[in-house]
Amino acid sequence: MNHFTKWAAAAALATAGSAALAEGLFTPNLSYRTGPFAATGIPLMNGQADYMNMLNARDGGIGGVMIDFEECETGYSTEKGVECYEKTKGKAIVTQPWSTGITLQVLPKTNVDEIPILAPGYGFSPMMDGKTFQWAFNTPAGYWDAADMIVQYLEGQGSLDGKKIAFLHLDHPYGKEPLPLLERMAEEKGFELVPIPVGLKEMQNQSAQWLQIRRERPDYVVMWGWGAMNAGAITEAVKTKFPMENMVGVWWAGHDADLKIVGEDGKGYKSISWSFPNLDAPVVADIKTHVVDAGNSKSNEEEMAGVFYNRGIIISAILAEGIRMAQQEFDTGEIDASQLRWGLENIDMTEARISELGLDGMVPPFKTSCADHTGKSGGWMLEWDGEKFVKVSDHLTPNTEAYEALVAEKAAEYAEANAPWPVNDACEM
Amino acid sequence: MLYRTAGQFKTTYKADQALFPVRQDAVLLAIILLFAWVIFPLTASEFAFQTLLIPIMIYALAALGLNILTGYAGQLSLGTAAFMGVGAYACYKMVTLMPWMNPILAILLSGIFSAGVGVAFGIPSLRIKGFYLAIATLAAQFFLVWLFEKWAWLYNYNASGAIQVPNLDIFGIYVAGPQASSVVQYFVVLGIVTLLTLLCINLTRGNLGRTWKATRDMDIAAELIGINLMKSKLTAFAVSSYVVGVAGALFVFMWRGAAEPNLFDIPLSFRILFIAIIGGLGSILGNYLGAILIVGLPVVLGIVPEALGLPVSSAMVEHLNIMIVGGLIIFFLIIEPHGLARLWALIREKLILWPFPH
Repeated sequence: MNHFTKWAAAAALATAGSAALAEGLFTPNLSYRTGPFAATGIPLMNGQADYMNMLNARDGGIGGVMIDFEECETGYSTEKGVECYEKTKGKAIVTQPWSTGITLQVLPKTNVDEIPILAPGYGFSPMMDGKTFQWAFNTPAGYWDAADMIVQYLEGQGSLDGKKIAFLHLDHPYGKEPLPLLERMAEEKGFELVPIPVGLKEMQNQSAQWLQIRRERPDYVVMWGWGAMNAGAITEAVKTKFPMENMVGVWWAGHDADLKIVGEDGKGYKSISWSFPNLDAPVVADIKTHVVDAGNSKSNEEEMAGVFYNRGIIISAILAEGIRMAQQEFDTGEIDASQLRWGLENIDMTEARISELGLDGMVPPFKTSCADHTGKSGGWMLEWDGEKFVKVSDHLTPNTEAYEALVAEKAAEYAEANAPWPVNDACEM
Repeated sequence: MLYRTAGQFKTTYKADQALFPVRQDAVLLAIILLFAWVIFPLTASEFAFQTLLIPIMIYALAALGLNILTGYAGQLSLGTAAFMGVGAYACYKMVTLMPWMNPILAILLSGIFSAGVGVAFGIPSLRIKGFYLAIATLAAQFFLVWLFEKWAWLYNYNASGAIQVPNLDIFGIYVAGPQASSVVQYFVVLGIVTLLTLLCINLTRGNLGRTWKATRDMDIAAELIGINLMKSKLTAFAVSSYVVGVAGALFVFMWRGAAEPNLFDIPLSFRILFIAIIGGLGSILGNYLGAILIVGLPVVLGIVPEALGLPVSSAMVEHLNIMIVGGLIIFFLIIEPHGLARLWALIREKLILWPFPH
């Protein structure tokens, strides 16, 4: 009953909200609060929604225009995702596809529909090439940046020459994404890369993969997992007594709930991240006053202390900053999709700006341009201390020059396969 | 009254064996075709094309293919999605290896590849039947999806392992890929679906269809009256896989635009099997009714609360949707275990007698 009342209350609020915000900037989110990936989706969605609700309550939206932050439920299914995209594209100024599958589906349509895709930290890595992918943004960092920073960090622990790295990944476009770069780095730095795919059906039972890891005896395990795969891998690693400090995951493999299952045994597990939960940041206090205390949040205290909820906040903050930049440039509150694209291309998150927004220590500084849709924020290496994630490295920055050629090559390949594919020739960077 | 058949006399065998012995059936179909070919394209929105009209037709076509095999020839198959995948990958390889090829021709040819694969996996049906055959087709399902993942040549060594539909045109009009407009894609799908449906109706009414039905009803008896079971079963596998393969090519090229291997995994097979079962095994119309219920209804239910201005959150709508559709499936199966097509047949019979039942 309690659960039901909560749902009813949430539903009532959602409508009350959307009725009041009927005229505003429509920034739909293709959320997944249902289905097999819901456990990881809910904290992210809550963080995103709470930040936007906070702006609406505290400042009356952005630049005086309310934000209509509606969710369209996909359950992480590509089919539903396309349905949501079609449903929202009429008046949306941005698409937040939230799955590599949906991103792949929507990306080729962007040049036709002319709506920016905001895919923070996911999607197709070459999207950082803003000239080719005019409408797609994987701000503030892409998967290749993650792979590069992880290798950098491991190098910091000692030369990788002659070492063996197992790459445990989901056998899916998402998991395969960093392979070209890792293969190249293996050649350059002289380590041996052992890719170990985990099929979608094997996510929860990875005994075969971990048997292989035991046999191969890698020095490090780098993990590109999502959803149930992370919990599966971490519990299996604990069971087989793999030294946790030698296991590093991408940012989507750094969910507090996955590590709480193993608790103390997971100590030493690392995950690269471009966001960090700083519970003392002013923005957290503002969300508490304007959203949580007003009863408008679907989140809870435990979730709000986690990495994923706070990443949700950062994602909305990036979007809000893009909207703000566009509003200033075009001198109008009611911006359209192409004006927002300009805004997202001109975000300059300096340290000063970050603390002005109250996001101190939650995101590294970054700057986008028409040629660089990622912004090269870099990130921090986080480590599980048995109870929560803590920062264990200084600010790491990806060495993007090393793979600029690879980005250009893959972007050109994409443009050719999808010809006619207009590129942004006006961009002179 | 509306369905009165009094006065419709058949004076020749030809007239008696026509596709529509009752005139009202023909009129009804003409109205449906008028809607499909003229009224929908003129009035439908982008959303309706992409989430209702195109997917319903493609799913119905896939279910039609399965129905030939399971409903008409009695061979249970759980590998439909894999055969769709064969069609989709074959089409992808054809258009990327031979970019000059007419995309519609490529879609129609891609069915031949899946027909070949279907026949190969149909060979066990000569020795085993029923649940055992279902397991053999399940093997096809797992093997083919594994192949789509591991055989990099199939997806042109793309780093992400997915296939992406390029922009394809016929005489300067884009029919596939992101540049294609929904109306054009709709007409391509409608044309192919109409053609294949007509073909299937006539196949199932003809000699081949009768041998399939005989095989389904009792294979020993069929063999005794001189039906070659090998020919009957393998033609059913070939025709079924051809239709399913074309549906798979349409699925990716006319609708999804991109596909990863696990799209063709077992949930899709089950979904198509449900459409065929709920629609009615051994019927053509049932596939359409089933597809409307399983594919179309959730989309419509999803937009109802918003249209009415009801205060329901998006995740809640999704939960309600699953419950309502699940409930409806059970409801329909209880009131008519033979599927929606049978339900329509009963309604039609009642209408013919109305208002003077016996």
